[in-house]
Amino acid sequence: MANKLIDLLGITKSYNNNIVLDDFNLYIRENEFLTLLGPSGCGKTTTLRIIGGFEQPDSGKVMLDGRDITNVPPNKRQLNTVFQKYALFTHMTIAENIAFGLKLKNKSKTYIDDKIKYALKLVNLDGYGNRKPDSLSGGQQQRIAIARAIVNEPKILLLDEPLGALDLKLRQDMQYELIRLKNELGITFIYVTHDQEEALTMSDTIVVMNQGYIQQIGTPEDIYNEPQNAFVADFIGDSNLIDAVMIEDRLVSFLNAKWNCVDENFGVNKPVDVVIRPEDVVLCKPEDGTISGEVTHVIFKGVHYEMEVMAGNFEWLVHSTLMHPVGEKVGITVDPFNIQIMNKPESEDEEVAYIEE
Amino acid sequence: MKRFLERFYIAIIFIFLYAPIVMLMVLSFNNSRTRAKWGGFTTGWYRALFQNQAIMEALYNTLFIAIVSSVIATIIGTITCIALSNMKSHSRTVLLGINNIPMLNADIVTGISLMLLFISFGFRFGMHTILLAHITFNIPYVILNVMPKFRQLNPNTYEAALDLGASPVYAFFKVIFPDILPGILSGFLMAFTMSLDDFVITHFTKGAGVDTLSTKIYTEVRKGIKPEMYALSTIIFATVFVLLLFINLAPAKKEKQIISKEKRHTLPQKAVAFAVISILVISTLIYSNLSKDKEGGQVIVYNWGEYLDPEALKIFQEETGIEVIYDEYETNENMYPKIESGAAEYDIVCPSDYMIQKMIEKDLLAQIDFSNIPNIKNIDSNYMEQSKEFDPDNKYSVPYCVGTVGILYNKSMVTESIDSWDVLWDKQYADNILMQDSVRDAFMVALKKLGYSMNSTNEKELEEAKEALIEQKPLTQAYVVDQVRDKMIGNEAAIGVIYSGEAIYSQRENENLEYVIPKEGTNVWIDSWCILKNAPNKENAEKFINFLCRPDIALMNFEYITYSTPNAEARKLIEDEDIRNSQIAFPDLSQYNNLETYQYLGEDADYIYNELWKEIKSK
Repeated sequence: MANKLIDLLGITKSYNNNIVLDDFNLYIRENEFLTLLGPSGCGKTTTLRIIGGFEQPDSGKVMLDGRDITNVPPNKRQLNTVFQKYALFTHMTIAENIAFGLKLKNKSKTYIDDKIKYALKLVNLDGYGNRKPDSLSGGQQQRIAIARAIVNEPKILLLDEPLGALDLKLRQDMQYELIRLKNELGITFIYVTHDQEEALTMSDTIVVMNQGYIQQIGTPEDIYNEPQNAFVADFIGDSNLIDAVMIEDRLVSFLNAKWNCVDENFGVNKPVDVVIRPEDVVLCKPEDGTISGEVTHVIFKGVHYEMEVMAGNFEWLVHSTLMHPVGEKVGITVDPFNIQIMNKPESEDEEVAYIEE
Repeated sequence: MKRFLERFYIAIIFIFLYAPIVMLMVLSFNNSRTRAKWGGFTTGWYRALFQNQAIMEALYNTLFIAIVSSVIATIIGTITCIALSNMKSHSRTVLLGINNIPMLNADIVTGISLMLLFISFGFRFGMHTILLAHITFNIPYVILNVMPKFRQLNPNTYEAALDLGASPVYAFFKVIFPDILPGILSGFLMAFTMSLDDFVITHFTKGAGVDTLSTKIYTEVRKGIKPEMYALSTIIFATVFVLLLFINLAPAKKEKQIISKEKRHTLPQKAVAFAVISILVISTLIYSNLSKDKEGGQVIVYNWGEYLDPEALKIFQEETGIEVIYDEYETNENMYPKIESGAAEYDIVCPSDYMIQKMIEKDLLAQIDFSNIPNIKNIDSNYMEQSKEFDPDNKYSVPYCVGTVGILYNKSMVTESIDSWDVLWDKQYADNILMQDSVRDAFMVALKKLGYSMNSTNEKELEEAKEALIEQKPLTQAYVVDQVRDKMIGNEAAIGVIYSGEAIYSQRENENLEYVIPKEGTNVWIDSWCILKNAPNKENAEKFINFLCRPDIALMNFEYITYSTPNAEARKLIEDEDIRNSQIAFPDLSQYNNLETYQYLGEDADYIYNELWKEIKSK
């Protein structure tokens, strides 16, 4: 495993007595694409701004490569940021924008010109050097902002919801672009977003945050398939979140039915949360289901049908390629492997976070 | 039809708005000293304007103050905006509200409070106090213009520059500054225009010898505004008009420029910085040069506007080496508070009779050592005698300009010969009578007609005078000040109460006019030189007064001012026989009865006069 490049130690930050980060600890490995994911106000942007040096933590330390940079101003940090609203210098040309950081480092003119060419090529905007930012589309401007940052060869690139202002198609294109860039440049990306799909698509590691606390750290697959608590399950993708009681290992009871599962070591008769992804819900004949109910709602979503089924006094969200018309009686089964058991929130803070979501 | 009405309506509005200015512009090309007559087209007033040193100096002061104050205000205002934009939204809103108050505040309040502030800090009034005042009132306008630009800024732009390695200062000038530059420029232009435009605040904060165009123009009010000023006002209007065009067109231009090529932004930036620095340096050099002391010391003179030939000042400076610092006021009532407050230091003033009496009573004047003024012998003894009404022992004042108040009538409209104030009550001249719009002058006429003293404080007499004036009021065409002269010249009225100085001038323009001193007596007014008790240069002041009493100098001033001189020797030097023997300019006072001079009647009497005056005016 690569070594820790950034290490946040016990970071606390508050605005107007409103605690945004509380004893926050996180490390980022070299060459990792790490995403801070969470709803607005969860502290993800503050974390990024503390790493960038635009905010000072009230307490705690920011370590870069083992060196304490907590009090180093942003212009002396070997990292670069790509801002949400591009933040291009509108009165300069594209080339001048890209050259801005290099000129400050007193690089030679040929070096700078080469770099501009290289960077424009990298972001697929060859020949745009003499244009003004205003004459470019949003996606192009964002790519220039990225080019402007990476020509400085930062150790880490910080990206603050860089695709937030783009439309869906452009956003998806840019996601692939970013993955490609990351692979080509081999630098560490710290990415902030509230869009779970973006996070799942691009990241090596996702940090799910809420109310200034880390809810779960893991690979996209981990986070999606094995959410550690109801918040993560709910925030990442659609899900059916149900109160349940763990009767014993591999047997859980909810909605007045007993279900086989694969989880162990939760104890006996222990209250838990169960999460079942909509695509894992299997509809069958009423008599074959573990429980049964009636289809109340159908929407065609293209790839699949999204249905709501009222069964066991719970409104199930179901994704299926087979359509069941409204009013049809159906049974529900779930593969034991697809039933994810989670502990109920323990601490008070977690509880609060959960309720407010 | 509807369309026509719409256009007609708009046309009317614009005519109302611009007719006065068009009038001014037309008069600035009028080849006649009076606005009642069109004397043909001339650009002479414009030429005269640029040859008039006093006006050009005022123009220089105005520009100096406008430029320096708006540059400094722009710098301070912009820095303030940086701070404001980094504040929390609540405190920013509060501070911006506070910032807006001075702009809505009446100028007069700002002016007086600044004056009081300067006095309490013991500042001496001068160019620097005007500058400070202008900077103060300009800052809010700069903030008003610059702040919106900060709000439009993407907050990340500055951070992006830091992120790329720029120091905070570099980031500001390289990234923020170009974006807010349009706001800074329009703020600067607005401040410049405001400063150029200001009269009230300048009036209260200026010191001796410093005049801006607006204060200079105002000092001329007493003698009627000279046509040069029409020319100057036209130029000022054109300048402000062009500046406003710039302000309004600047943003549009800016947008067009975006298309144009690289490096554009660096040029104006450097040019502006260079311009600012050079203006400041040059201005300070010139200013320090101006205020340089002369060897012979100085004398600080506070005089009526247009009440001394500038050429005479030059001669005095050349002969004695004494530098004259010269300041002007427009009325006795404007001069008095400045002297009384002690805010500005002066050596000599030239108040009128009753004001001299008041200043003696308030112990503001110094006794003059007449052994230092041998030229006093040139002054007509009649006027020294008359002066005793307000300066009983001839200890405090030296008569400078004198005159009478009488009746000016148009011989083509009045066939009888007039010799009494009674004619002003004659019904056959109804609607053709002009009265002076001033409380003492109006009461003088009535009191004299009734055979009382014009300095009466007897309530019964005053009541009678009031009734007489109320009775007369329906007959009058108007109570006016300056317009008596112009209306009489323009044959717009038959009879008017007028000062003798104005009468001579009117007669020159319209030979049908005749001036008479009524047999019931009248007011002989005297403006005299006095030395102030706290005069820093008393000796020089006496030298200056002695100089003014020299016949050749008195003659020069008589020709410049055109008001009668009490200097008998000077009168003998007048070449034009008609003028030298004019009974209007040089009446033989001994021939008239009941001549009086205004006295200071005290605050109680002032109050009674004003109350009665209000009654008359409201009828």
